[in-house]
Amino acid sequence: MDFSFFITQAISGMTMATLLFLVASGLTLIFGVGNVFNFAHGSFYMVGAYFGYQLVAIWELNFWIALVLAGLGAGLVGMLAESLFLRRIYGRVNEGGFQILLTYCLILIIDDLVKLIWGTEYKSLPRPKGFSGAVTFGDIYLPSYNLLIIAIGVVVVVASWWILTRTRPGKIARAAAVDREMVDTLGVNVPLTMTLVFGIATALGGMAGALAAPLRTVTPGAGIEVIIDSLIVVVLGGMGNFWGAWLGAILVGEVNAFAVAFVPKWASLFSFLVMVIVLIFKPEGLFSPRQVRKV
Amino acid sequence: MRNKRLLMCLVIAILAFIVVPFCVNAEDKTIKIGAMYPMTGRAGLYGKDSVAAAEMAIDEINGKGGVAGYKIDATFTDSKVKPAYAVRVAKRYITEDEVDFLFGVVSSGVGLAVTEISQQYKTIFIGTDHASTRLTVDNFQPYYFRVSNNTFQSMTAGALYLKELAETKPWKKIAFIGPDYAYGHSQWDEIRYNLDRFGVEYEVVGEYWPKIYAPDYTSYITSILKDKPDVLISGFWGGDTVAFIKQAQAYGLFEKALYFHPDAGGNYELMSAMGAELPDGLVLGARHYNNWPDTELNRNFVQEFKKRTGRFPTYAAEGAYAGIYAIAHAVEVVGNPDDTEALVKALEGLKIKLPEDPEGFTSYIRPETHQITQVMAIGTTMPNEDFPPAKKMLGNWKIYKAEDLDPPAEYIEMKRKK
Repeated sequence: MDFSFFITQAISGMTMATLLFLVASGLTLIFGVGNVFNFAHGSFYMVGAYFGYQLVAIWELNFWIALVLAGLGAGLVGMLAESLFLRRIYGRVNEGGFQILLTYCLILIIDDLVKLIWGTEYKSLPRPKGFSGAVTFGDIYLPSYNLLIIAIGVVVVVASWWILTRTRPGKIARAAAVDREMVDTLGVNVPLTMTLVFGIATALGGMAGALAAPLRTVTPGAGIEVIIDSLIVVVLGGMGNFWGAWLGAILVGEVNAFAVAFVPKWASLFSFLVMVIVLIFKPEGLFSPRQVRKV
Repeated sequence: MRNKRLLMCLVIAILAFIVVPFCVNAEDKTIKIGAMYPMTGRAGLYGKDSVAAAEMAIDEINGKGGVAGYKIDATFTDSKVKPAYAVRVAKRYITEDEVDFLFGVVSSGVGLAVTEISQQYKTIFIGTDHASTRLTVDNFQPYYFRVSNNTFQSMTAGALYLKELAETKPWKKIAFIGPDYAYGHSQWDEIRYNLDRFGVEYEVVGEYWPKIYAPDYTSYITSILKDKPDVLISGFWGGDTVAFIKQAQAYGLFEKALYFHPDAGGNYELMSAMGAELPDGLVLGARHYNNWPDTELNRNFVQEFKKRTGRFPTYAAEGAYAGIYAIAHAVEVVGNPDDTEALVKALEGLKIKLPEDPEGFTSYIRPETHQITQVMAIGTTMPNEDFPPAKKMLGNWKIYKAEDLDPPAEYIEMKRKK
């Protein structure tokens, strides 16, 4: 294997990893702060992709403005879903089961709504102006849109880390994750915090959808395709761990990229294999502190 | 006491209401069809189009007074693309609704499950879309008929295309990418079988099996580029083609290798999704085209469908349309929809003029396989704005004769022996 192929393959792994991370980041945020497993998170990714399609292809808006609006739109839908439905089941006995049922219902409902509004035909978005070409270094050929996606991923990681650890709202969110009641007693409006966190997380998912639209097919059911891989990433990184999600996504993306290059027949297997190994040897996630196991 | 009698009367009245319509129905002369199509997720597009086209055919036939004094009545149920679920629906159709025909199915996996029920209950199953050759060769059973092409036929046409191509534009190295399930694997096996059969020399430089519905192919694309194939044979299905083409375009793959996708690449939904983005010069095939053949029947079919639904049909529509007409023809020959064995005989000898038949050709069912035999065309993408929102359509057609595309007798024998 020559060096230029190694770089090309690594970068293509990074492209996949970043889109995976952008979806997984919201998933892990909701899990970390709200202790909610949002099975419908992929549907917000799909909603974002459709918003992007509506804004760019039909209303002919600038791609970058559309990207922001699609994220905000998906976040708004997310906040509605949280305050209308999810909020009602917090604190129930066996809440986990209810969460899965409820969010699974959301998948079906959102899928059908999308079908009603946009139909079942496949949709697609062109790459934005200025990013339809490629950057070349000798033999290395890198599409500029793919590089842009990777850069956006880095910005999101750093910005989220900064918000969560260095700002007051971020600290409140983290505190609420540890002890909801205590934060409530201190005068913080916890339900509102939860809704906002859900909104931010689904906005991240929606933005990922709009960002992926120029490279993927916009179609009903697109949410289900990304949720499994995102779940693997969240488990690898440690449920609720932001940096972990990014590193987990890179691990999955790169393992897949090099598996495709060297053992193409079995490539699909490897990301699952990595997850199984991690679950056996470090079930709390690769990048989370080792927990004391209760006997 | 009085109350009890009143209750009794009520029960009888209710029962009467439930039973009487059934009795009336039984006397009413109808051909009952139990159809199954996916209505959700990615395959929902094909399900919706199939239902619309089947209803269009039913309206046309019933509008002219039906066949042999019978009206066609079809029920449509979501198959959910789940074999186990479709099996339950098929059983219910047969035992409760007493349908005369099972109908439909987009996925070959579902088709393979439903064909077993058809055999078990001796109820004819008309396959309108799913393409796995196994249904008409390996897992053949006498009550199954298919009215759209199978992958063997498109791969034979594909192999003939590549053979001709070698004469004008020499190629040697091929790579394959397709979904990692029965549909993808049979395409790869069948194209190589046919290339070998026609004595074409080639070298395989790569073979890739992403999961169906995988959203990301970037790593596959960069790896294919490293293999440097002259021809990339693709076996993608549905929206996966759109995603792959967009991602491959970003890497300039189409300037470096010929993209060759003979079974489902030429589907209209690819053109309508990608508009002007679709590159020129891709070589694609499909089971039905909106712009070929340019016959009155095809033009009418496409325009009528557009009028009913507001959109141009995907390939799946024509299969469902053909299926309804096949049933109508068979019932016309037999005179009723109840004599299953006679209907099987009638379908075995079926000749039927379909929208996808060019001038001078009529599709027919091959008795040994119960597979429809049709002319196939393979085209190249080029600008054409006659079918919006598509901005590119296929053209520069290469046409392959129907009788050249069917699996040879020794192939059928070999597969059925296994």
